[in-house]
Amino acid sequence: MSALQARNLRKVYGRGETGVDAVRGVSVELTAGECVAVVGPSGCGKSTLLHLCGGMDRPTAGTVVVDGVALAGLGDDGLTRLRRERVGFVFQFFNLLPTLTLAENIALPLLLAGVSAGEAADRARACADRVGLAHRLHHYPSQVSGGELQRSAVARAVVHRPALLIADEPTGNLDTDNGRLVLDLLRTLNDDIGVAVLLATHDQAIAARADRILRMRDGLVVGPVDAETAPTATTPPEVGAL
Amino acid sequence: MTLFRQFILRALLRDPRRSLATVAGVTLGVAVVLAIRLANTGSIRGFETALDVVAGKTSLEIVGAGVGVPDAQLADLGWLREYGLVSPVIARTARLRAPDGTEHPLQVLGVDVLRDRPFREYQLLEFAQGGREPSAQELLALLLDSRSVVLTERFASRHGIDLDGSVQLIIGDRVHDAVVRGLLLDEGPARVVDGQLALLDVAVAQLLFDRIGWLDRVEIQLFEAGAIDDAEQTIAARLPDGLRVQRPAQRGRQVEKMLAAFHFNLTALSYIALVVGLFLVYNTVAVSVISRRREIGTLRALGTTRRTVLGLFLGEAALLAAVGATVGLPTGWLLAQGAVRLTSTTVNALYITSAATVPPLTLVDVLLAFGVAMPLALAAAAIPALEGSRVTPIAAVRGADRLASQDDPRRSRRAALVAAAFFGLGGWLATLDPVGGLPLYGLAATLAVIGGAAALVPVLLALLRRVGRGVLVRWFKVEGMLAHANLSASIGRLTVSVAALVVSLAMLAAIAIMIGSFRETVTYWVGQTLRADLFVAAAGRGPAGPSPTISADAEQRVAAHPAVTAIDQFRTVDLPYGPDGDLIILGAGTFEVLLEHGGLLFKEPADGRAAMAKAVGADAVVVSEAFALKQGVSVEDTIELDTPQGARPFQVVAIYYDYSSDRGLVVMDRPTFARHYGTQRPGGLTVYLTPEADPETVREELLAALGPDHRLFINTNATLRAEVIRIFDATFAITYALEAIAIFVAIMGVATTLLTLVLERREELAMLRLVGAGRRQIRRMVVIEATMLGVLSQGLGLAVGVVLSLILIYVINVQSFGWTIQFSLPVWFLVRSTLLVAVATALAGLYPARVATSFGGEAAR
Repeated sequence: MSALQARNLRKVYGRGETGVDAVRGVSVELTAGECVAVVGPSGCGKSTLLHLCGGMDRPTAGTVVVDGVALAGLGDDGLTRLRRERVGFVFQFFNLLPTLTLAENIALPLLLAGVSAGEAADRARACADRVGLAHRLHHYPSQVSGGELQRSAVARAVVHRPALLIADEPTGNLDTDNGRLVLDLLRTLNDDIGVAVLLATHDQAIAARADRILRMRDGLVVGPVDAETAPTATTPPEVGAL
Repeated sequence: MTLFRQFILRALLRDPRRSLATVAGVTLGVAVVLAIRLANTGSIRGFETALDVVAGKTSLEIVGAGVGVPDAQLADLGWLREYGLVSPVIARTARLRAPDGTEHPLQVLGVDVLRDRPFREYQLLEFAQGGREPSAQELLALLLDSRSVVLTERFASRHGIDLDGSVQLIIGDRVHDAVVRGLLLDEGPARVVDGQLALLDVAVAQLLFDRIGWLDRVEIQLFEAGAIDDAEQTIAARLPDGLRVQRPAQRGRQVEKMLAAFHFNLTALSYIALVVGLFLVYNTVAVSVISRRREIGTLRALGTTRRTVLGLFLGEAALLAAVGATVGLPTGWLLAQGAVRLTSTTVNALYITSAATVPPLTLVDVLLAFGVAMPLALAAAAIPALEGSRVTPIAAVRGADRLASQDDPRRSRRAALVAAAFFGLGGWLATLDPVGGLPLYGLAATLAVIGGAAALVPVLLALLRRVGRGVLVRWFKVEGMLAHANLSASIGRLTVSVAALVVSLAMLAAIAIMIGSFRETVTYWVGQTLRADLFVAAAGRGPAGPSPTISADAEQRVAAHPAVTAIDQFRTVDLPYGPDGDLIILGAGTFEVLLEHGGLLFKEPADGRAAMAKAVGADAVVVSEAFALKQGVSVEDTIELDTPQGARPFQVVAIYYDYSSDRGLVVMDRPTFARHYGTQRPGGLTVYLTPEADPETVREELLAALGPDHRLFINTNATLRAEVIRIFDATFAITYALEAIAIFVAIMGVATTLLTLVLERREELAMLRLVGAGRRQIRRMVVIEATMLGVLSQGLGLAVGVVLSLILIYVINVQSFGWTIQFSLPVWFLVRSTLLVAVATALAGLYPARVATSFGGEAAR
């Protein structure tokens, strides 16, 4: 079963003549365990596409099916439940809650889903262990490094075993080493727990490690690129695009 | 200015709800302060306008000691004519029954029209048509008949009374038929008392008011109006013992002084609403700064100076305060109408009988509204405005400038020390004496305690951070955990709002405890002292001023009832006392009856009854606690009281508890009173019945025996007790009203604080939604935060309220009114108010909770 099936997605912000087509008929499909990178210049519609696929926003037209659940028929509560149970998110600025410890941040999706505090803590601890943060569990976000923050965010995104992981520029705010570490982590989880990963990035080196690459421009997918043939970080993007 | 318009004004207009809420807070605060000021002025003004009417062109007046000026002395005062024109006057209040059966209070002026003509203007309707005033002879002709009365045109037309029509005057217990012989034009003095003025011949007035042989005063219109000081001094030197010369305004000043403590306490209370209202300004500017950090950062990046940013936000506060003050002015005037109604019961029951009206707004009120609101609003906005000016371009643009606040035990310790210092200061201030009869240090002590409470708030919040998590998680699961984390991280932001709420709730608790204790004390006192079966009083009897009397005929009919075993006749007069001329109440009672049947509660000596027995027929008095405290008098002291024969010494034999008046009562035996002040008809009768008699039945029989010609109020013991408690409750209605406003404003403050926090956390809230938090969960979280703030504030408020109530009861009350109140905790009221606060703050959290669920994925990057 596909982890994600998005067909002919269109998203218009605003109305009438002032409306802006952010996404103009994009289709994308991810199978379980697959990793797809969306690349393209700023404003090309990458983030909007991710928001639509993760149930954070509703498309103007088109359909999204996540892990067999069609989003079109879901109300606000349904979308919330879908995000809580089947989707995980990682963002550029980590977006951990500054008022919770790392352990609490990681356990949050489980607690929100009504999992008992004890079980949530156990699973969060296991997940933190997996991302190498067992020693930082009781630290607050302000007390750890950027790399650790993003690893916590990844742990939080997968603690509830989602079918789909949405990662919007997950390494955009990290140095090269930490970026690589986080990407390794995403790929490991991708393989180990079979979560499908849809990630948006500017970084060609990051994109190169995906199974597939979708190149977007002006709200359109301008062509799939096999990861093997994708340009590396050392190749200028313009060259890779040719 | 352009920047202010673009950056501040447009933002305020874009968020009209928040702008309106803030303006409403300031409006309410300003309005409450103004309303109390206007109501206070109004209650005195009602009396002073009546005073003006009676005073006319009078420069000076001769008054007697308590009971007036004996007619006989008038002949000896012929020398007064060397200084000016002289006119004897009777000035009293009565009730008039109109032809339609309705009854209305009236100011009655009894004058010798031949002498009084130059003092007052008498524009009569029938003569005005001929374009002239009546001559003295024509006036005399109108009033000579003992049934004649002159009313005002306005009063007559309002109540359907015609010229030469019949009305009834009710004076004391007597009902007199009268004929309206003239109507005063609706101008001059007739207009200022709203037409409620009646004119009688002085001799007729003496007869009707049971004042034969006595005048209320002799008025003088000086030949040389400019030489008033000299005239006052030389006349004072020539007057015989027992008479004093004073200016008419002196009576107004006495009334003002009498009401000063009552008004002062109300004013102090009204400022709490204003101060709490200004916390809203703080909150609004804080919301402005927080929700627009990125914009501020952009402005700063584009070259806007810190000073300009500071100016922008201070300008926002000034604008909100200016609008609030402008709207507060007419709102205050409207609220004053209600405040006058609420206070007039107290003023009329305890101080003066007057028709209080709200005076129009003056420039002073406008200056007060702006002069108080603007500086306070700027001070309130200073902290968030400074915070705004310190926003760095980079932090704001990145939006990553909010971190979890760390637990700093040193800060808590410091706050606890500051709180202890404030409480210590409060304790010391509470031991100091009043200033000019006003509890200034007592109020300073309450301010110190309030300061201490505010300093304790961060300590309390830190305590919540440490120990509250377990409870919240157990009760409210993940929402409780998030609420706890949010509150813990926002201690700095929350302190001001929680402090405002704590102050309001502490004042409410303190006032509730004080009033509850007072009520218990009064109930006990009434139970102990009101022993008689029936209480007889003449109609229209007031607590101050000349009281109407009970006729001999009525008294005989009461005494003749077979069930009556004893009667205590009592009489009260106002008497200036001491160097400041404080208007005290001099009472005369039948001590033998009081000793046998009554139940005065004595404060000193231990055996008060034995001491009182020594005062029977002697030049000795018992005094109320308020008199003893205010005048610094103890048992065995000798006090000097003015009598018609001059000042006379009286020994104080006992001090008794009394809550009927804070002016202070001096009571002597009736024969002693008669010896010094002449035989006076009693103003009331306290009647004791045989044990088997049913008071209600006897009351009915007495009323039947008195017939329609006598207008007496007869209360049974039970109805009088109920009446005492009714007046008590009415007295404190305004107190609760003021506090309710303060709490309402404070709860609005909690709502705006939560809104601040929600806006500050928009990215976190969006993230929460993304990781699966439902709208309901977010709403629950914010409402839990609101309720926690309410419950915490109420907890601290109650504790501080108990401390404040001790100051109110044992310092401010004693210094203002001279009453001993037994401390008692109104447990049920406090439990109910706690629940109410919890519910109200939870409701206050609903709007911020709704806003909190509105942030979508666009907020998370």
